[in-house]
Amino acid sequence: MLEQVAVGGFVVLVLAGGVMAAWMRHILYAIIGLGISLFGLAGLFLNLGSPFVASMQILIYIGGIVVAIIFAMMLSIAMTVQPLERNRPKVWFAGLCAATFFGGVAWLLERTEFEVIPPAAAQSWELAQLGHALLNRYNLVFETLSLVLLLAIIGAILIARQERTS
Amino acid sequence: MTLHGYLLLGLVLFSMGLFAVLWRRNLIAVLIGVELMMNAASLNIMAFNHYRVSDPSTGQIFVLIIIGLAAAEVAIFLSIILNLYRVQREIDVEGITELRG
Repeated sequence: MLEQVAVGGFVVLVLAGGVMAAWMRHILYAIIGLGISLFGLAGLFLNLGSPFVASMQILIYIGGIVVAIIFAMMLSIAMTVQPLERNRPKVWFAGLCAATFFGGVAWLLERTEFEVIPPAAAQSWELAQLGHALLNRYNLVFETLSLVLLLAIIGAILIARQERTS
Repeated sequence: MTLHGYLLLGLVLFSMGLFAVLWRRNLIAVLIGVELMMNAASLNIMAFNHYRVSDPSTGQIFVLIIIGLAAAEVAIFLSIILNLYRVQREIDVEGITELRG
């Protein structure tokens, strides 16, 4: 009972945050909506059995990415500037596209039967198992990801560097 | 909640992200839409991981990699936005027509 209430609350958070992020005209409200949505998703990950991924979601997404977006907002647009007007035809067309996509995939989802297997044993969810898998079977992926992150950092520095005017 | 419920929630989130990407005029808001879509994908993966996979570390690693790639993507995207703002003094996607063919 309590679990269902909690999951329902997280679903509401995800949806409300998503609506805020997709619709609010002021960019700061959209970023806050994104944060709320990410927090709700972290709760759902907890319910799906992975506290580690939930905590990473909060640490990296809310603590890192959302804060970085807020920095970019403060550095690029003055907070006092009026947000841009909505472009009506664009909004209608975007809504049409998104609704078509939603309808099509929902129709497919409705027609599909998924075979649910019994949940895995509790000890296979442990963090130690995750670490073993990351360093044995998925080692290449792990190393590639670290390389990608390094390249992203160097690329970001190179792109954003102030050109010296001499 | 069942597997279908989670997949439907992920689909709703992805559609919202698609909507935001298509109608937004501010580049940062477009980035927010992309983030919503990525999170819909990771929700789907975690749901399948819970209900359909016998080795649950697979899906968790997949989601961790999505989070890492999202961090890299945001770093690049934000530096491009800052540079663009310095050059053009605006980040309205309708005003940035320098490279239009």
